[in-house]
Amino acid sequence: MQLAVNIVVLTAIYALIACGYVLIYRVSRVLNLAHGELLMLSAYLLLWTASLFAGHAVAAIAAALGLSVAVGAMVYLFLLRKLTGEMALAAVLTTVALGVLLRGVTVIVWSAQQQYPAVPLGLANWAFALPGGARISLWAALLVATTLAVYASLFAFLRLGRWGMRMRAAGQNPLLAAQRGINLHAIYALAWSLSTLTGALAGVLIALDSGLGQTMAIIGLKAFPAALVGGLDSLAGALLGSLIIASAEVFLIHYVDPLLSEVIPFLVLIVVLTLRPWGLLGTREELDRV
Amino acid sequence: MLLRLQGAILAALLLAAPAAAQDAYTIGLTGALTGPPASTYAPAVEALRLYVDGVNAAGGIAGKKINLILQDDSAEPGKATANAKKLLTQDNVLLLLNASLSSTFAPVVAEAKRAGVPVLFASSVCPKEVYPPADPLQFCTTAFASTYDSRATLAFIKETAKEPVKIGFSAMAIPLSRAEMDFAEQQAPALGMSVVDKEVIPPPTPDYTPFATKLKDAGANWVFSWAPWVTQVRTLEALRRLDWKGDYIAWAHIEAEGELARLKDASFYVIGANALFQDQLPIHQEIAKAAKSTKLTYPVEQLTEGWIAGMVVEAALKATGWPATPEKLAAAMSTLKVDTKGLRGGPIEWTKDNHFRTRQYYRVYRWDSGKGAIQQVKDWTAFDVK
Repeated sequence: MQLAVNIVVLTAIYALIACGYVLIYRVSRVLNLAHGELLMLSAYLLLWTASLFAGHAVAAIAAALGLSVAVGAMVYLFLLRKLTGEMALAAVLTTVALGVLLRGVTVIVWSAQQQYPAVPLGLANWAFALPGGARISLWAALLVATTLAVYASLFAFLRLGRWGMRMRAAGQNPLLAAQRGINLHAIYALAWSLSTLTGALAGVLIALDSGLGQTMAIIGLKAFPAALVGGLDSLAGALLGSLIIASAEVFLIHYVDPLLSEVIPFLVLIVVLTLRPWGLLGTREELDRV
Repeated sequence: MLLRLQGAILAALLLAAPAAAQDAYTIGLTGALTGPPASTYAPAVEALRLYVDGVNAAGGIAGKKINLILQDDSAEPGKATANAKKLLTQDNVLLLLNASLSSTFAPVVAEAKRAGVPVLFASSVCPKEVYPPADPLQFCTTAFASTYDSRATLAFIKETAKEPVKIGFSAMAIPLSRAEMDFAEQQAPALGMSVVDKEVIPPPTPDYTPFATKLKDAGANWVFSWAPWVTQVRTLEALRRLDWKGDYIAWAHIEAEGELARLKDASFYVIGANALFQDQLPIHQEIAKAAKSTKLTYPVEQLTEGWIAGMVVEAALKATGWPATPEKLAAAMSTLKVDTKGLRGGPIEWTKDNHFRTRQYYRVYRWDSGKGAIQQVKDWTAFDVK
């Protein structure tokens, strides 16, 4: 039973991070390679808001998430807006540079030491007993619940919401969407904000569960294979890819060799991309277009 | 005329800068001041800078100041090589310090050897070349010592355990940590311990619970971890969330003191070679006083490692005298004995063949729930380094 819980928690972590990659790629065809750093920045922002709202956890978390949304929008408006319509590679390289910049800035502002935002907020991390003798920590349980809520909200937003439909239209055919009066810059800024928000939720919850340091940026990259396995333009694919990779990792750790958990995401990725280069639930025509 | 005057002033300034540097002991450091592993190295570098500032403020060494040049390598070998070249060829340093990952060692040592300049590893792991028979140009002040740390830890577990020991190990998937846990795994059976599991955890890992689950399911009643702090402490926290009640012992990295107070776990032991600030030695007060005089990035209890490096650098330069050359410095370092004023269990003593230290001392601490403070569990235990 504990293995099942471990798989669910790891799936939730990867899925919550992976949907950030998908949101931006689906709308603008840009691979955001600074997603891990943006996630880490959000966790550090929580550290800052925790010092501002000491003892008021909800306010501190809400402020950190709000700031993250603003950061996402600003990244688009100040960095990527001018690259709209240019080669996707230029935008991807810009995100690489942004990642390097953010890593440096976070060290300068918050230092390199391990930080625990739960401490100034006075939040404990209890563990709950589950049926079958399994246990789960409070923040891990919240992370699973948050992932489910985020995916349900995103599915509903993209299928039923007016702005969601505009995002889908911009992703499918930006030229036609623009001709129909859709403000592409607003759509792209929204996609960046939502992507940064989902990353921020992951970063904040991971930081509350086990602290944060400079390695958090790399955790962001660990979810990237999950997005690729599922198909970079598919939210359902990100969920499926996360489940496959998390299951493979947990089973290998438990039954074979823990070291293999490092390579298995990429092994799965190679196998899937060899058989189905557009990912398990990705769109074939999207790949042709790329 | 004005242009000519400006030119003359500029030329005078350019000539004056190297002249000032030549009138000081110039030493250089390449270290991981940024990058993922910076939390291990940056506090030590900050402490070293603090110590050197204090020496300079007190008039330097026989009237000569120490010019400490810091270069960030982000724990990347390429950057470390460039830093070493710059420090050796442009700054003409007498001593090259390394405070970074072991992957930076080979290029830094190669550059230093070409220039005939001694290398001091300060807060980075001591390479095997500093142990007997030592390389003439490599020295180390860092607290931890592969194989000796495991011997001391296993001896402590054997002495402390009240029931048969079923031991599990937790390593980070980096060569050094894995090798140490492999060594401990080999040593444990000879001490009557059953080895039940060894987890080698990739860095970084988003969730340590799958690894902790395996350790718990294997039936470990003791877990020993010798790895970067993040792996040590997150494995422990994951085990506790799984309701594991066993004893856990880990290496006392610079974060240990703050973390013992955060976790308040009476079954969590840290073993190390540096005295913690809770011991309240006069030298601790001296460090705290120096720390108060400036704005520091890191907590004062993380400064010990770099402070010790500073003490050794000062002693080495004093023994070298003036004018100093790298050759004279290397010769002085080969017979150096530095009183650490209680920060270590004994002096750091180097001989021609041993550039680590002739004796390594260990102390064990844990959280005392009754007193609500850190408690010294076992006082200094010495191991001869041969």
